[in-house]
Amino acid sequence: MSTNTPLTQSKNPIRQVLGPIRGRLIIAALLASLGTMLTLVPLAGIAHIANILFANADTTKLTIGHIETEIWWTVIASVVCVFVGMALMLAGELTAHLADNRMTHYLRLAVIQRLAQVPLGWFTSRASGEVKQAMQDDIATLHSLAAHFYTAVGRASGALLVSVIYLFALDWRMAIIALLPLPGFLLFLRRAMQSSDVNMHEFVTRLERINSTTTEFVSGIPVVKAFGVNGQAHSNYQKAVDDFAQAFDRFTRPLVALMAHAHAMVTPVTVLGLALAVGTLFIAIGWMTPVEILPFVLVAPGICAPLLLLHTLLHDLGSAAGAAQRVLALLETPILEQPNHNQQQLPSGHEIRFESVSYAYSDSHRALSNINFTLKPGTVTAIVGPSGAGKSTLAKLLLRFFDPTQGCITLGGVDLRHLETSALYRHIGFVLQEVRLIHASIRDNIALGRPSASQQEIEDAARAANIHERILALPHGYSSVVGEDVQLSGGEQQRVSIARAILLDPPVLVLDEATAATDAGNEVAIQEALSRFTQGRTLLVIAHRLDTVKHADQILVLDNGTIIEQGSHQHLLAQRGLYTRLWTLGDYATITEPKVPSC
Amino acid sequence: MDTGRLRNNYGAEGAVMLKMFIQLLGKDLALFRRYVYMALIYGVLCGLTVTVLVPILTQLLSGNLPAAVPWLVVLLIGIATCWGLRRYVEQAGVRVGVAVLQGGRHRLGEHVARLPVGWFTPSNTARLSHVATQGMMAVAQLPAHVFTPVITGVVAPVIIIIALFVLHGPLGLTALVALPLLAGVFFLTTKLARRADNAFQRHFADTSQRVVEFAQAQSVLRAFSGESGSTRFLEKAVAKQHRSGVRLACLSALSALLNAWTVQVVFAVLLVVAMLGMNIHLGGTLTEENIIGATIALLLVSRLIDPLLEVANYGEVLRSARGQLDEIHHILSATPLPEPRAPRSPCSAAIELRDVHFRYAPREPAVLNSVSLYIAPGSMTALIGESGSGKTTLARLIARFFDVERGSILIGDVDVRQMSSVHLASQISQIFQDNYLFTGSIADNIRIGKPDASDAEMTEAAHQAGVSEIIERLPQGIDTQVGEGGARLSGGERQRIAIARALIKNSPILLVDEATAALDAENQAAIAEVLAQLRGHRTILVIAHQLSTVAMADQIVVLDGGQIVEQGSPEQLRASQGRYAQFLSQRQAAKGWRITQDDADGACS
Repeated sequence: MSTNTPLTQSKNPIRQVLGPIRGRLIIAALLASLGTMLTLVPLAGIAHIANILFANADTTKLTIGHIETEIWWTVIASVVCVFVGMALMLAGELTAHLADNRMTHYLRLAVIQRLAQVPLGWFTSRASGEVKQAMQDDIATLHSLAAHFYTAVGRASGALLVSVIYLFALDWRMAIIALLPLPGFLLFLRRAMQSSDVNMHEFVTRLERINSTTTEFVSGIPVVKAFGVNGQAHSNYQKAVDDFAQAFDRFTRPLVALMAHAHAMVTPVTVLGLALAVGTLFIAIGWMTPVEILPFVLVAPGICAPLLLLHTLLHDLGSAAGAAQRVLALLETPILEQPNHNQQQLPSGHEIRFESVSYAYSDSHRALSNINFTLKPGTVTAIVGPSGAGKSTLAKLLLRFFDPTQGCITLGGVDLRHLETSALYRHIGFVLQEVRLIHASIRDNIALGRPSASQQEIEDAARAANIHERILALPHGYSSVVGEDVQLSGGEQQRVSIARAILLDPPVLVLDEATAATDAGNEVAIQEALSRFTQGRTLLVIAHRLDTVKHADQILVLDNGTIIEQGSHQHLLAQRGLYTRLWTLGDYATITEPKVPSC
Repeated sequence: MDTGRLRNNYGAEGAVMLKMFIQLLGKDLALFRRYVYMALIYGVLCGLTVTVLVPILTQLLSGNLPAAVPWLVVLLIGIATCWGLRRYVEQAGVRVGVAVLQGGRHRLGEHVARLPVGWFTPSNTARLSHVATQGMMAVAQLPAHVFTPVITGVVAPVIIIIALFVLHGPLGLTALVALPLLAGVFFLTTKLARRADNAFQRHFADTSQRVVEFAQAQSVLRAFSGESGSTRFLEKAVAKQHRSGVRLACLSALSALLNAWTVQVVFAVLLVVAMLGMNIHLGGTLTEENIIGATIALLLVSRLIDPLLEVANYGEVLRSARGQLDEIHHILSATPLPEPRAPRSPCSAAIELRDVHFRYAPREPAVLNSVSLYIAPGSMTALIGESGSGKTTLARLIARFFDVERGSILIGDVDVRQMSSVHLASQISQIFQDNYLFTGSIADNIRIGKPDASDAEMTEAAHQAGVSEIIERLPQGIDTQVGEGGARLSGGERQRIAIARALIKNSPILLVDEATAALDAENQAAIAEVLAQLRGHRTILVIAHQLSTVAMADQIVVLDGGQIVEQGSPEQLRASQGRYAQFLSQRQAAKGWRITQDDADGACS
């Protein structure tokens, strides 16, 4: 597959992206070109009719019948040519649009397939914006390229080609004169480009600045209002707006005159006037007859529109190149290595071992170093420590959001890297603080991991997660679409996500204990659900409140990415280290153990 | 008259766009008007210049060369004038563009700065960001790139039709009849394409949403991908987008074709009419005069068709321009909070709600229903209730995120609507979940609360909010740059800096949303500390989550379904065995919960 082979940098990104549909696009361009040529036939037709008429002026009635037939044939041929031409152009447009739709569709699918294999750690909050930009906006930019550019080039070049040939065939001297505005246009255009290059850099810098300043201004308004100060962000925004307007003005001002000249050059009026003026001269010196200049007056102005069209399209080509580059970059995102079939191993049992595991997000910042511990089947292990100590990084390594930079993690004796992704998640489930429900029915959300689960199984899972009653109370029950039919509170979402994990029934569970964001009723319901769910499983808990995990079989105290203490609650308290400090800080000791409330 | 209808069809669309431009440009509208007039004059002049070819060709074809020369001079003057005018039209267009980029953006900025805080939902913020950057850029380029060719493309043919009338009555009439027909067809095809376009945009937006979901929920999708792969939802959306894309391609190709065909049909009809007309004139012989007349008329017809075809090509561009203007219009139409003419100052830090009713949108259910509440100055009130009971809304209304639907909110006996927004803001510190930080150092961000704060005050606030620990860890301390939007710090760290920022402001009223603010244990502790220290010194309203917070309060208010169901001191409520008592027991149970089940003090089972 092309997505797996590294693509050479030297290749033009647009070419690479359009490769698979190039053939269709060329056909589309040819159709459009041919169509345009045909639509120009009536102009020649008019000239032809005029020719016939003038040749037969002041003739008697006798010949009129003959002339009339010839004129009518010309009219009919012209009309037929126009309509056939239009049909061909339509066919060209359709071919291009359908080819484009095909290309954008396959590009999107390719991106999806690729991203489904990159390390989970790649998906930061920033990535979702980038992915959306590339998959939707950039591919949409490519659309205008594929769907419009080729046919437009075909149309324009068809029109130019047929006009030039026709005019030269009639009279080469006059043809040269009539086409003179063309090089004039290109000359002014070139000068415009050169003068814009000078200010381009400033323009782009200012454009970037106004974009980032605007984002900050817009996001910061609520804060600014809360503090009642006329914020720095607003004056920054105002300044960026003024600066940009100035840069825009400076950038466009020299262009305006040049572009106006260029455009005026290829206005039909100019071309027409030139043809008439020089035509008159040619008539005066006897090079041509009056009737002979008619075709020039008719056809020459027609080259203006396609020329301008070409110019506009070339302008768009620049942004398409950037878009293609971004899409290609996304298609080359490094992926998590999947084990070869012969490397694949099946875990025996589900003991988990961290062996000298280190992880660094970047070269400079080490998040975890030299972590060693074992999760014995059926035991509970808690990770505690101040925020930023590396607790969630450790849990994410076990879930293979990314791979360790050093050392290895094994499940039942098999390195996680030699396990197939689906096999890994059959063994290890998780309930994390950040709950994500999918925009789909509640049934689909619970059955996400097992779409074939029966209604009974789904309901059982929901019941175990303490959410069944709530779902039944919804207007559409299990078919209610999350975010559309129903807005679930944070705690309710958490319970749905627990039901989802229950349905998969994994022997190992990674749990983020924080339930702080939910109200009291929800918190109890979640805790009940978790109590039921965790029974008999190997458990790794990221603990935020130490008292919740004081009965864990082993507690790992993490600080600055290393395990500095390890043992049971009593054992750790006796050590009088960081754990003891955290315990005192949390004020847990003063809270008397409450009585078990009656249920 | 038929031309009247033509103007109506195009006019309706044109008038809407014009209205939007008026709204966007404000006092800069004169520039826009000037530009439109110049473009119109330019179009007329172009049309007139083209018609000069009639006398020239007539004379040339009749063999009267000298008589053609003066007209030729007129033509050349006309061309020179058009050439010169073109430059002024483009300059006027650029000036309108600059006005949009400068005046329009300022106007947008000032407008959104007056909008209620509640307006800034994530989707509105994203929309605003897009409009203020790309949207404005696109609109600014409209005059020079789109309006000029369209205006001249419409005006010049009108002039030519008049010339046709003079030259060849039947042709002129046919062209005149054809124009409204053309306009009608353009109108219909635009509508047709817009319908397909809307459907496509809808699917496009759906897919975009799925893409974001796909990226954000990737961990969940992949972990639960056992049987079917993690991509099925997104793939389904993409397939739908693909199908509507095919439909759009067909429909827009069809409508473009229909436009061009109609123009060509008109052309063909004109051609035939010219021929038939000649037959009528023929009578006995083909006089040279007739032939010349007919030939020149046909020439004019071809000059008439060309610009019309060009205008037909701009349909799609105009459609998207309309979309951009719609977006701007949507934002500029949001109602800002009214500012009082004669602002009043509160006489104390008391908060009072009098029979407050509120709903987020006219047809949505009420969020608060007849809520009345008095919070004495310097007292602490804890607000509890299930999610969705209206706690957050109540706190936000006090900070005037929105205005109430009915009833009133008073601070120190003054209605918040009677206070200037700056003054109201100076009365209230908020610790809510929005913790946006600005590019700059940690110190810069804390100083937003009090620009002239002394170093001692800074240290104090940083210490109270638990920011000192963060500062100690960082090599550059309080001068560490936080990055764009605070991106270089963790969520918890940002939250604590936001708390420090609110504290240093030192205003008499403090609103705290503990349920959302207390993300991790450190922040919970920081907030508890803040509350304990400020209690008795400020009027405090806290959406309470921790038992310790509730216990500290002078007054507890229990909300349910947008109404106050219980109210009183902690002792009173505990005794009454109502909702508060239930809350207490749930919290106790939650607090006593242990992750391991083998102990006696586990949760209910």
